[in-house]
Amino acid sequence: MSFSALLVGIIVVPLVGALLTPIVAGRNGNAAGPWSFGVMSLTSVIALLLLMHVVEVGPFSAYLGGWEPPYGIELRFDEFSASVSVICLLGTLAILFSFKYAAKELPAGRLRYYYTLLLLNLTGMLGFAVTGDLFNLFVFMEILSLSGYALVAVSGKPTAEMAAFKYLIMGAVSSLLVLFGIGLLYSLTGSLNMLDISRRLAGAPKAPAMLALAALAVGFLVKAGIFPVHIWLPDAHAIAPSPVSAMLSGLVVKIGLLGMVRVYQMYYGARVLDLSAFNTVLVWLGAIAIVMGAFFAIFQEDIKMMLAYSTISNVGYIVMGLGLASEYALIGAAVHIFNHAIIKAALFLGAGALIYQTGYRNLTDLRGVGRSMPLTTAAISVGAVSIVGIPPTAGFLCKWYIALGAFEAGQPFFGVVLVFGALFIFVYYIRMVNAFYFQEPVHPEILDATEPPMSMLVPVLVLAALCLVMGVLGRIPLTFIEPAVERLLAPLGG
Amino acid sequence: MLGLLWTNIDYAASVGLFCIGLYCVITKNNLIKKFIGLNIMESAIFAFVVALGVVDGGDAPIMGAGARPPFTNPIPQALILTGIVVAVSTTALALSLIIRIYRQCGTIEADELREME
Repeated sequence: MSFSALLVGIIVVPLVGALLTPIVAGRNGNAAGPWSFGVMSLTSVIALLLLMHVVEVGPFSAYLGGWEPPYGIELRFDEFSASVSVICLLGTLAILFSFKYAAKELPAGRLRYYYTLLLLNLTGMLGFAVTGDLFNLFVFMEILSLSGYALVAVSGKPTAEMAAFKYLIMGAVSSLLVLFGIGLLYSLTGSLNMLDISRRLAGAPKAPAMLALAALAVGFLVKAGIFPVHIWLPDAHAIAPSPVSAMLSGLVVKIGLLGMVRVYQMYYGARVLDLSAFNTVLVWLGAIAIVMGAFFAIFQEDIKMMLAYSTISNVGYIVMGLGLASEYALIGAAVHIFNHAIIKAALFLGAGALIYQTGYRNLTDLRGVGRSMPLTTAAISVGAVSIVGIPPTAGFLCKWYIALGAFEAGQPFFGVVLVFGALFIFVYYIRMVNAFYFQEPVHPEILDATEPPMSMLVPVLVLAALCLVMGVLGRIPLTFIEPAVERLLAPLGG
Repeated sequence: MLGLLWTNIDYAASVGLFCIGLYCVITKNNLIKKFIGLNIMESAIFAFVVALGVVDGGDAPIMGAGARPPFTNPIPQALILTGIVVAVSTTALALSLIIRIYRQCGTIEADELREME
């Protein structure tokens, strides 16, 4: 089987799987869960094969319908596309977690649509990660956004619907900005292929090219939930069912950041535009997001709300890394996209398991739960330690690299902001761990809670274990992404 | 300056429409009005991108007997056709959300909804 076919397959398999879900699901929708789990397992195998191939030979492409770019549509798998591995991993685990969770939390009859939407959301993300065509990027972004809005509202509670509406308005405006940027770039370069655009951008007039850059960047940053435009994020992520929160927080906001990486690839490829002012804005946005996200998180009582604000602060780290634009910072940012996805999914799924077993979601109500659910709380604590960035966990290496990048770029101030932010994050996660283990329970019945069923416990433990493993084996993704970053920053002709 | 504005009147109109739409999205209290604002913004972007592909005196690029260049660029039109499909889906989803919010809360005014939270 050729790798072009596999590259097409990674989009087609989950897409067809999603469309078949309502048919396969059966009368009460019980078959939908195992079916979508099977679909995602198959997709994960494809992702693994693609990943092995990219390690061996470097970036490769597939041309749809046999038309070569710039006329045909190109699917391109490069080092940044390796994020399909984490998308497949989280998708599979979130679906496994949903077996019991969704059956209890969702109204009967919605189950089949819930899994359809999950698979569509994953299709959008996988497509976004592998496409080499700017317009396809937009289409896949809309697939994942629309299914995302619907997934937030899926529980049918009025608060969920209001959160989904807020998300939809912000998301739709940002999509429009992206479309506007794409239209501008097309009129400047006459091409929609990203590699081709970056070659032709050198000859384009500068002012409109910068306008397109600004439109694309604002569009993608709203999707990523950067600080001043984050207002949709906490509600949507906290109110959605927990597996959906894990996907939204771990993956969907990262798609905005991956979009930023793609924009960078185009504009750095052109070499003629001076991006330093733009980078300064990004660094400051990131720094403000780190501090403000952490600041808001400290005052949250609701455990999922706290995790949602922590996402804002971690998106800040990645945006800051992108803005510093030195080699170390970019490597750190790219790996943090990957590691934060795993950590945040572990935390959200763990929180979901606590809520499922005890029925409480406030930290005060959850006091003492560490005694009755030791495995789940241990997993959450590992996630908390990783997200603070204490060695030897997954969060440490990327934050270390971003800090090194700040010094490398000659802006040590931002290295200080980063450490300061980590301290803030430490404060609110210590509050959580303290509530779990060291405080007397407010509700005595919480001591009778039991560990969640296996289908929920296994994903949480696997992700927590990965937080540790990625810390120890952290050099592997770092060295893997390095050539891509070097190519990004290499001088012209390199 | 005015001459430049006049030759680019199509772009200027799109920018104007976009701003009107953005104003509605930000200031209107009624969820449906907010959403109509979003639709206006969508139309503005669609008109802008289609206008990018227009060639003065250009024909529709349909090959066959009597086809004579210049032709209008069909790619922006194809893109916007896809964009319209996306916009229709967004509209359908948003309106169904609004209907459900109205059924459950009895109002679609943003400030009243905020109080209920």
